[in-house]
Amino acid sequence: MSPPTVVAQNLVKWYGPRLAVRDVSFSIDAGEVVGLLGPNGSGKSTIFRILTGYLTPSSGTVSVAGHDAVTDSLALRRQVGYVPEDAPLYDHMRVAEFLRFMARIKGLSGNAATRSVARVAGRLRLDGVMDTPVAKLSRGFRQRVAIAQALLTEPRLLVLDEPTSGLDPRQVNAFRDLIRELAGAQTVLIASHVLPEIAQIAGRVMILLDGTLLTTDALKHRADIQHLRLQVDGPEADVRACLATVAGVRAISAEAGSGDAPTLYIVEAAQRPLVARDVAAALAERRLVPSELAVVPPDLEQVFLELTRRRDEVAA
Amino acid sequence: MRGFAILCQKEVMALFSSPIAYVVVTVFLLIMGYSFTLTLFISHTPSLVHLFFQMFVLFLLTVPIITMRLIAEERKLRTIEMLLTAPVTEAQIVLAKFAASLGLLVLMLALSAAYPIVLGIYGNPDWGPIYSGYLGLILLGGALVGTGLLASTLVTNQIIAALLSLSVFLLLWIIDDFGYLLPDPLDTLVVNLSLSGHFKPFATGSLYLSDAAFYVSATLLTLFLSIRALARR
Repeated sequence: MSPPTVVAQNLVKWYGPRLAVRDVSFSIDAGEVVGLLGPNGSGKSTIFRILTGYLTPSSGTVSVAGHDAVTDSLALRRQVGYVPEDAPLYDHMRVAEFLRFMARIKGLSGNAATRSVARVAGRLRLDGVMDTPVAKLSRGFRQRVAIAQALLTEPRLLVLDEPTSGLDPRQVNAFRDLIRELAGAQTVLIASHVLPEIAQIAGRVMILLDGTLLTTDALKHRADIQHLRLQVDGPEADVRACLATVAGVRAISAEAGSGDAPTLYIVEAAQRPLVARDVAAALAERRLVPSELAVVPPDLEQVFLELTRRRDEVAA
Repeated sequence: MRGFAILCQKEVMALFSSPIAYVVVTVFLLIMGYSFTLTLFISHTPSLVHLFFQMFVLFLLTVPIITMRLIAEERKLRTIEMLLTAPVTEAQIVLAKFAASLGLLVLMLALSAAYPIVLGIYGNPDWGPIYSGYLGLILLGGALVGTGLLASTLVTNQIIAALLSLSVFLLLWIIDDFGYLLPDPLDTLVVNLSLSGHFKPFATGSLYLSDAAFYVSATLLTLFLSIRALARR
């Protein structure tokens, strides 16, 4: 088995007195598409900047393809293609000029640079705008140019910071197709605060909150829990007491129904067979009749909320 | 070296893609042309000493405009992230920006070579002060560009970068006036920081190694500090 492409160990980053990243460790295997999920200001961009050699960590180590981010930064940067948030580009250049400049600065020369520019322009469908000044590009095209420059040298690791922000749905779809094309051939790390987007693209999702990595595999957590949605007429305290007796039930939230409608309960339970049947049996035993009982497939949002709730509980 | 050349080319393109370079060169040549003609008609002597002092002042005023955007703009637009995540060093970036900006000053001086050529054709000038004057202006330009670059590295606002470097230049221009008021040995130290004090010998044809060393040291120091400031992230 080949060694991981990215290894981060006990990463810590201070900005003056503010701790932006606290003791973050993870690894990413070659060919994986990994999402880094977290709200704005959670430390995603800081981790990306450390991974790309732009920032140095206050402590801890990062290596990409075996090259350390601090001691072997230039070699590391040759292995990484980076698309920063909001696609900062040189507005005074034309697209072809910009891509050629980036190709040359990344070490490609002469014909190799020309071929590489033509390849990424075709792949990102930029042929029609190659002579357009970057300043006149639409948001979508800017983002595509930024992704194109990151792919110029076919890097081992592609780091994309909020790559779909500002794109229209068609462009987002095209972007997803591109990432699916790259999966397997290249290691991709994508940051986003949009949960459904990450869920569709990434094979593994890490969740970051306030600089702390809550999980390195949220999708596995998703497989570990299930949610039941039920509506029951009766005193809430009785229903809660009844549900709490069922094995595997972890948390219960209640929402009063409008008008005469019964209260709606969302029950979080461990992923084991027949929980729904046990819930129904427990309710029947106490003569509580549910008007609705359904298993809801959990999404990343629920995993995110669950993990943050657990963290807050631990902190409290 | 290759990275430096590519970055240098990019910086030259950036300089000439904005109107700043054209405006600075045009204003410089207009003022110098007017001044040269006026001086020649009044004094009837084939000398460029007065012109060199005027170029000195114009350099103090125009270099902040040339250098203000160098790093501050890259930081503000965050294109510096693109550069510093590519396999190039901070030293290559700083030196490329320095070389391109100094290149613009050299171009301005090269265009002003029309004046000594006119003197050579129609008179018999003393070429020594002319050569040393131009050498002094190039060395002064290096120190000014280095200082302007450092100011641009320290702040993200271009206007503040320009004002910061202009303030330093003006202070170092008139610092010898304050220096004479200070007790020994502070007076010697302060007077030796004077930009104009080290330029006068060049303009009048007296070459001293100490004057050249002052400008070269200032250039190297500001470049070193710029590299360190850029590396501090």
